[in-house]
This record gives sequence, structure tokens and C-alpha cells, in this order.
Amino acid sequence: MASTLSRQKVLREWKLYLFVVPSLVMVLIFSYFPAGSAIYHSFFDWSGGEAKQFINWDNYIRAFHDSTLLSSFVTVGALLIFNLFKMIPSILIAVLIHRVTSDKWQYAYRALLVVPMIVPHLVTLFIWKFILDPNLGALNRVIEATGFKSILVWINDFFGWSVFFKDVPIGWLSQPELILPALFIWGFPWIGTVGVLIYLAGLQSIGQEVYEAAELDGIGPFKKFLYIELPLILTQVRLSLVLLIVGTLGQYGLQLLLLNEYGGPGGRGMVPGLWMYNRAFVAGEFGYACAIGVILAFVILGLTIINNRYVRVDK
Amino acid sequence: MSAAENTIAKLHRKVDWPKHLIIWFFILIELFPLYMMFQVSFKDNASFIQQPWLPLPPTEWQWGNWLFAIKLVGPYLANTLFVAVTATISSLFLAILGAYFFSRHKMPFSGLLWALFLFLMLLPTVTNIVPLFMLLKSMSLLNTLLALILVGVAGGQVFNIFVLRHFLEDLPKDLFEAAEMDGASHFQQIINIVIPMSGPIIGTLAILSFLNAWNDFLLPLIILRDKELFTLGVGLIYLDGEYVKPWGKIMASYFLAAIPLILIFLFTMRLFVRGLSAGAIKG
Repeated sequence: MASTLSRQKVLREWKLYLFVVPSLVMVLIFSYFPAGSAIYHSFFDWSGGEAKQFINWDNYIRAFHDSTLLSSFVTVGALLIFNLFKMIPSILIAVLIHRVTSDKWQYAYRALLVVPMIVPHLVTLFIWKFILDPNLGALNRVIEATGFKSILVWINDFFGWSVFFKDVPIGWLSQPELILPALFIWGFPWIGTVGVLIYLAGLQSIGQEVYEAAELDGIGPFKKFLYIELPLILTQVRLSLVLLIVGTLGQYGLQLLLLNEYGGPGGRGMVPGLWMYNRAFVAGEFGYACAIGVILAFVILGLTIINNRYVRVDK
Repeated sequence: MSAAENTIAKLHRKVDWPKHLIIWFFILIELFPLYMMFQVSFKDNASFIQQPWLPLPPTEWQWGNWLFAIKLVGPYLANTLFVAVTATISSLFLAILGAYFFSRHKMPFSGLLWALFLFLMLLPTVTNIVPLFMLLKSMSLLNTLLALILVGVAGGQVFNIFVLRHFLEDLPKDLFEAAEMDGASHFQQIINIVIPMSGPIIGTLAILSFLNAWNDFLLPLIILRDKELFTLGVGLIYLDGEYVKPWGKIMASYFLAAIPLILIFLFTMRLFVRGLSAGAIKG
């Protein structure tokens, strides 16, 4: 629809610019200005007040020697691997729903999958905190009731860890060694509503007749997935990969609320975003926090660019 | 239906049940927290510790939990509703204006302005929170709901304009030309053509904006100090911080926090299902 205009017409239509000004102003003030300010202040020793001192690259030099920051990148790397693994159930469930022959059931399952979305994120988070509670939580009760606990204790004794003990409830969020496993279990069975819905959108182009033809040719369920379904949702899988990387690296709200500003016992849950938050709002080192933020932003930007380069997403 | 097709259909039905079983297994686990939230919300701590899994008979339900929750969460709900509704409406209004600018005519510099918006899609927002806090402080907007609204509106612009622009460009050009012949101003064209013709897409974007505003807790946690101004996020975080936890009351509060979303869900399920897939294509 957009068409190039003659000069006169541009002059007559100048008022159109007024339409974009409000959005532009909002974006400049609340998105561009903070980003610029973060880069600017990352070169300062600044505790949030009027006084600040230019210290060149000192914040960055400090960051590269900051053992907490370095280990937080290792932690976030582990979380990234967990989250890659956690993509599998969503793909599985999307394929299964698509293979269900009745349209009515397909719609019903879609609707049921959306239901968890109506619970505010924060509530989901606190309910999980409750599930992981050592004394009252569902997880420990299931582990006790199924006898899985004695297996854990046996493994514990066998390897000489001191993590699981008989008659002592497992403190998922209070024992340093268990923080990462707890973050892994978190969200079981790891079905992302949004993920399932975009995979289903990709699968839509496969008609029932394709399945029927495959069945007549005697192709088994696993090969069907490999040769029919997977190629069709590859675009969506790559897309969620990009979203997952950006999301995992940038988020820290979960760690902040599930554990605390210090990443929980032993700081095992510390991620780069949380360390930035901690430095700014706990220690008051705003300049250093800005530097951490800038480093993190460049890591995310780099990974996004690599992704866009090697992973083509066709519209 | 021919005999062959009939056999195939029968074959399908026969092998379908394992799929249903697996799907139900996952869905039930997925819905389990909801069930717990609902049934625990009617228990006091004693009956909860005695029997955590099964619901109490309705005659023993502790409605007091819900009264407590309404008293506690009610004001937070009102604040959150105010922020979410105001932010959603203003964000979409500005985005429609912006998208109209980009899709109507190709004006000088519109390419540059477009790039300015698109670049933000790539820019990670995680860095922003610290300078944003200082910016709001210098604007003396700390501890106000206005700050949440402004940041929410700004944050939604890029994605909303992006989606709306592509939608508006596909609208028939004749409509706008005819309106122009009749002397309609640009603003009148937006009111009379753009908004009526893009109902579903605006609805979808509105749901996404609303969800975003509803789920936000980091910014409110950092900038809000007065209890009267707390949004749900901050309120629930403080509730979680109590030492002796009255689980029934807590769960009732959680449930109450979800009720506005449940209502929206019931009325706009189709938009919801579609909107979420649209939102995921953002990247």
C-alpha cells in the first residue's frame, strides 16, 4: 500500500509525521535512552547519586576477574542445556495432538493446554516453590511414597555424597548441591503452551491423507516423525531455539524469587542477570552493574546473530 | 465412503487410544498445580497437613480464606487492573497511529524511522533495568503507577507496530482513496477504516499486552514502596515472605489473582489460542 509520493504531496501530507511521533518519543525515552545510558555509565564508578567518576575500562577489567560473574555464566550455560532438553516434551505433545484423528479432540487438547496460561507467572512460580518444599511439598511426598527415596539414599551412600539422607526431607532449594537439579525439575513436565501452539501451526500443513499413504506403505510411528513431521516443524524448532537462548540468558526473576538476591545457598543459582541486579540494588554499584549488563547484552546479541546466520527462519 | 476408506478409519480409531492416554497423562500433570491451588484454598493448615491431596467435603470449606484473600488481594487487583488496562489501551492506540504512518505512504525518512524501531527487536532489554530505575528516579516517577504504565506502553510499541504495519499494508487501498475523496482526514480514516477492519488482530495484540502487564513483577518490585500502590506481583512476593505460612489463605489469594485472566480466557478463547501463536512468532 505504501507508495512513493511527489514532493508537493509530501509537503501537503506533513501531518502524517505527527502519527509516528508519540511512539517514537516513547521508544527513545524508555528504550534507547536506558541502553545508551547503560553503556555510558559502564565507564564510571557510580553509586546512583550525583557524584560519579570516570574510570575508563576498570569496570570491564574487574568483570573479567569477577569469579562470581564467571561462574554465573557457567550456571546459565547449564540452564541453557536443561532448557534445550526441556523442548522435547512440547514437540512430542504437539506431534501427538496432531496425530489424533478427531478434530474435536484436537481442539479440546489445544484449549486444555492453554489453561495453565491463565495462571499468572508469579503464581506458577510460587506453586512450584511449594511443590519443592521439603516438608509439605508434593515432590518429596511422591519420592517417599514410591520408595524412590531409598534408591537415592543408596546412590548417595555408594558414591559417598552427603546429599540424601534417610529420614531427612530433601531440601531442594536449601542444599547447595541440589539447586541445579531443582531448577532442572522445575516446570515438569516442561510443556510450553506457546511452543506447542507454534509447532501445531507448523504441522497444520500435513493432511490426514499423508498419514494414510504412510500407513499403507507400512511406515512406523518413529519414521513418520523423522520423515514427515520433523522437516515441517524445523522452522518452528529453530525459532523457539532463538527465543529460548535469548530468554534463558536474560531472565533472572525465577532465581530471584525462588532463591534470593545471592542466588540461594552457596550462590549456586547465580546467573549473570541476577548478579547485575544484585550489584545495582543490593550493593549500590550502579556503574559496575551497567558494565555487567552491557557484557550480557553483547553475549546475547552475539548468540542471536550466530543463530540468524546459521539458522534460517523463513516467513 | 468406500469400503477401503472405512477400514482405514477404523484402523485409526483403534490405534488412537495410546496417543490419548499419553496426552492425558501430560495434561493432568500440567493441571495438577491448579487442582492443588483450588482445593487447598478451602483448608486451614491443620486439615491441610493431615490430608494434603484430597479436597474437603464442601460443608467443611473454610470460606474465611477467601474473605482474607479478597481483603488482601483486592486492592492489588484493582491497581494491577488499572495499570494493565491503561497500558494496553494507550499502547495499542499509539501503535495504531505509528503503524498507520508506516503503511499509508512512503514518506521521506520512513525507512530510517522503521530501522530505528526494528533495531530494538534485536536489542536485549536485560541491560535496561538499572538505567531505567535511575531515569524514573530523575523524573520523580519512582513509587508511582504511572511509571509502570509508561514503561509498559514503550515496551509494547515495537512488536505492536511491527505486526500492525504488515496487517494494514494488506488492507485494500481503494478504501482509503475513497475516504480521502470524501475529505476524510487521516485521523478519521483511522477511526472509520483501520480500527473496524483490524478488530481480530487488535484483539490478539491487546490480550498479549494485557498478559505482559499482568505478569510483570520485576519493575514493580524495584520501584513501588507504598503498600497502597502494590500491584499483584509485589503483593504476592510479600505474602510469600511470611514465616508461618497460612497455606489455605495463600492459595485463595493466588486463585483470586488468576480470576481476571480466567474471565478473559472464557470470553476470548479463540483469540487467546491464536494470539499466543502469533506472539510466539515475534522473534
